[in-house]
Amino acid sequence: MPSTSPTASIARTRTLLSSWASSRPSSRTTSVQCLTQRRCNSTSVEPPPAGGHLPGVATSQLLKTTRDAALRIPGLKWVDELDSSVLGGRETRKMNTYQAIRDAMAIALAKDNTAVVFGEDVAFGGVFRCTMGLAEEFGRERVFNTPLTEQGIAGFGIGLAAMGQTAIAEIQFADYIFPAFDQLVNEAAKIRYRSGGTFNCGGLTIRTPTMAVGHGGLYHSQSPEAFFMGASGLKVVIPRSPAQAKGLLLGSIRDPNPVIFMEPKILYRSAVEQVPVDDYELPLGKAEILIPGSDVTLLTWGTPVYHCETALHMLNSPSPQIEPFVPASLRGAKVELIDLRSILPWDMETVVESVKRTGRLVIVHEAGMTAGAGGEIAAEVQKRCFLKLKAPVRRVTGWDSLRWACNMRSSIFRTRSGFWMLWSRRWHTRSYAFQPNRTLNTYL
Amino acid sequence: MIRPLQRLAGSATRRTVQSSSLRRLYATGAQTLPKSTSPIVSKLDFFNTVTGNGTTIPTYRVLDGAGQPLEGAELPEIDEAFARRLYEHMQLLPTLDNVLYNIQRQGKISFYYGEEATIIGSAAALENDDEVLGQYREMGVLLWRGFGLDKIMGQCFGNKEDTSGKGRQMPVHFGSPSHHFHTISSPLGTQIPQAAGVGYALRRDPNRRSKSIATCYFGEGAASEGDFHAGMMLASTIPSPTLYIARNNGFAISTPSSEQYYGDGIAARGPGYGIDTIRVDGNDVLAVINAVREARRRCLTQGRAVLVEAMSYRVGHHSTSDDSFAYRPRSEVEDRKRIDNPILRFRYFMESQGWWNAEAEDELKARLKADVMKAFKRSENLKRWELGELFTDVYGGEEPWNITEQRQELAGLLKKYGNAWEPWRKELAKFSDGGESLMKRA
Repeated sequence: MPSTSPTASIARTRTLLSSWASSRPSSRTTSVQCLTQRRCNSTSVEPPPAGGHLPGVATSQLLKTTRDAALRIPGLKWVDELDSSVLGGRETRKMNTYQAIRDAMAIALAKDNTAVVFGEDVAFGGVFRCTMGLAEEFGRERVFNTPLTEQGIAGFGIGLAAMGQTAIAEIQFADYIFPAFDQLVNEAAKIRYRSGGTFNCGGLTIRTPTMAVGHGGLYHSQSPEAFFMGASGLKVVIPRSPAQAKGLLLGSIRDPNPVIFMEPKILYRSAVEQVPVDDYELPLGKAEILIPGSDVTLLTWGTPVYHCETALHMLNSPSPQIEPFVPASLRGAKVELIDLRSILPWDMETVVESVKRTGRLVIVHEAGMTAGAGGEIAAEVQKRCFLKLKAPVRRVTGWDSLRWACNMRSSIFRTRSGFWMLWSRRWHTRSYAFQPNRTLNTYL
Repeated sequence: MIRPLQRLAGSATRRTVQSSSLRRLYATGAQTLPKSTSPIVSKLDFFNTVTGNGTTIPTYRVLDGAGQPLEGAELPEIDEAFARRLYEHMQLLPTLDNVLYNIQRQGKISFYYGEEATIIGSAAALENDDEVLGQYREMGVLLWRGFGLDKIMGQCFGNKEDTSGKGRQMPVHFGSPSHHFHTISSPLGTQIPQAAGVGYALRRDPNRRSKSIATCYFGEGAASEGDFHAGMMLASTIPSPTLYIARNNGFAISTPSSEQYYGDGIAARGPGYGIDTIRVDGNDVLAVINAVREARRRCLTQGRAVLVEAMSYRVGHHSTSDDSFAYRPRSEVEDRKRIDNPILRFRYFMESQGWWNAEAEDELKARLKADVMKAFKRSENLKRWELGELFTDVYGGEEPWNITEQRQELAGLLKKYGNAWEPWRKELAKFSDGGESLMKRA
């Protein structure tokens, strides 16, 4: 039975810790130590900072710090054949996310004369700098401001795309995409189908900054991806890093379907990595396994990818303050971290394959829980993995309320703490305790 | 906000500031506010009209009710053959309307909307490759461009000859890329900002720049949607050769225009967006031709939006789901049909030119009715598209797993119950392949 008193809980954890050390010096311990060493920045003997050494976006191991790593992104497809006379092959450059997005649009504009970029305030470079210099480089006929009307921007883009041209529209914040909901769901998503394939607006890409930024309040923080998840005919894509953003955006612009491309705005400046300078695409509708594992599948997208990385670190190497709450039996858990990347259509095969191996699934997203994308995925996974599931599918999400109080960075707090609660409280109970070899029948 | 300098300069020359008429200036040296060419005045003066003298916007007309040219009116240059073609297409619409309406009453097709004769005049004034984005009363444009009765019927029945949408949409939702007619959709007003994008695309296309325009039709009710505001603003601000034709027929289903707006119709809004605007008698086909030809010319030369408000009266019901006598007197409708019938008015004109007579009228009516009935009879017995088309065209390119799986699920159900259960067997027989191609994939 779960312990209800903190003292009892601490005592129990200590017992577990000591028994762990004496009875299971297995390969798992080694892997935990490796992870600990890899993820901690400091090996000094000084006491760690109050919050512990936590990997954040700035120090994430998931970002590509070398040219070699950047050139070997899974699924990367070069668009041009490399000229064999070029010495040294493909090059990379250090970019943050907005620079990578700007780079992708510059390539799209340079190679496709029908491509135009438009939206509110894009001509001077955009409020997030994603279109810096594009108007100067390609002219005001191709990179221009629109009046302040989201339904107009979406409709205008549909019209351009219906004529076979490439429309790259920007909605300034995903929170303000709702005035365009009718144009996107009733029109863009359905034009090909309703016209029997004679018309389409596949050339349309809607870029929009999304997710929490720490102080965005109600209308600069939202994650509306699930609202579009039922709009068959649209694609919804969310990158996690600069190299992902460039490859997925170029893939979205050239995809024969209208795509809503949501850019996690907190990553615009904070995520920095090596990005291939050439023209390349990453596949839509494909998830990416970031950390392989065999005990739990952890599925997420966008900013929470980094929160999950932090949570994994906390699990494997808890700071002294929380150490009593982390059962030793959980610390060696081999968690498989998956970045979904495409919300619609989502990569069912990769997720299901993973859950069949691990038997457990935790879905993490910033949007609220009720009718969030996690619910759809959980339902599909339980249908397909029923006999393989060793525990209920868990969703760690924003609350169904005011999710982002000003200046509290509460979404990060929420996701971290929520994820943390999941390990420490829910999985701590005996019925779902971490026992890799248990089958579903044990719990029934 | 950054505004291009040339635009400021352009607006300054267009609206001349008559500073000499200003008695006092608010501040010495400052005759206008930043980002504005508005002269400063010291007299408190609200206004509520765009004509400047308090009158409503006039309606342009060239023929009177008896088909005679008004004094000073300039008729468009049309010859007998062109006039006959106009008249025949105008007559074709009520003929089709009647047949389809009655079919609908018998439950053979599920839905049908009426039509306005305004459409033929504007279609005749456009080039056949001008892009058209309509609302759903613009079938006449397609007929004018040679779409053909079989495809009209095919779409209404949703049979194999429905090239507009493989039987997926409700009746009268036509479309055809080769006729430059974008597929109709039910949500009102959505085509208005889309037309601005189409206009901009034409401007950017080297083969069509300065040759083609986008034309967008909508009713006065749809003009209350936010998309109207967006579209007008976009096509004028991001200069796009887009012609907006508002069909003001006095009703949006049951709502009279007096409950739709309090201003001077739709035309009064045009100048607010800085676009050239005219109000025309939508029951005078020659006035419509003149107005739309000139509007089209302005679209091309200025590269910006132009607005035409065509005034008419919806003599039919809103749709077959509507009985309009529930909200307007039958006598009002009958009076309008008699006094201001667009077809009759043009017929009088034709007769005055010696181009038409009672004999020609009888022959035409008989011929049109026979043509329409022939197309209807032919269409009635045609099968639907293959059932498998239920799942195609959702996406371009690779099909997502969920679509594939759901197709297989239906195929499995059909294999199991398709022949065993009478209602399903009867329904399957209506498809051109009886569902076979779908079941093969199960």
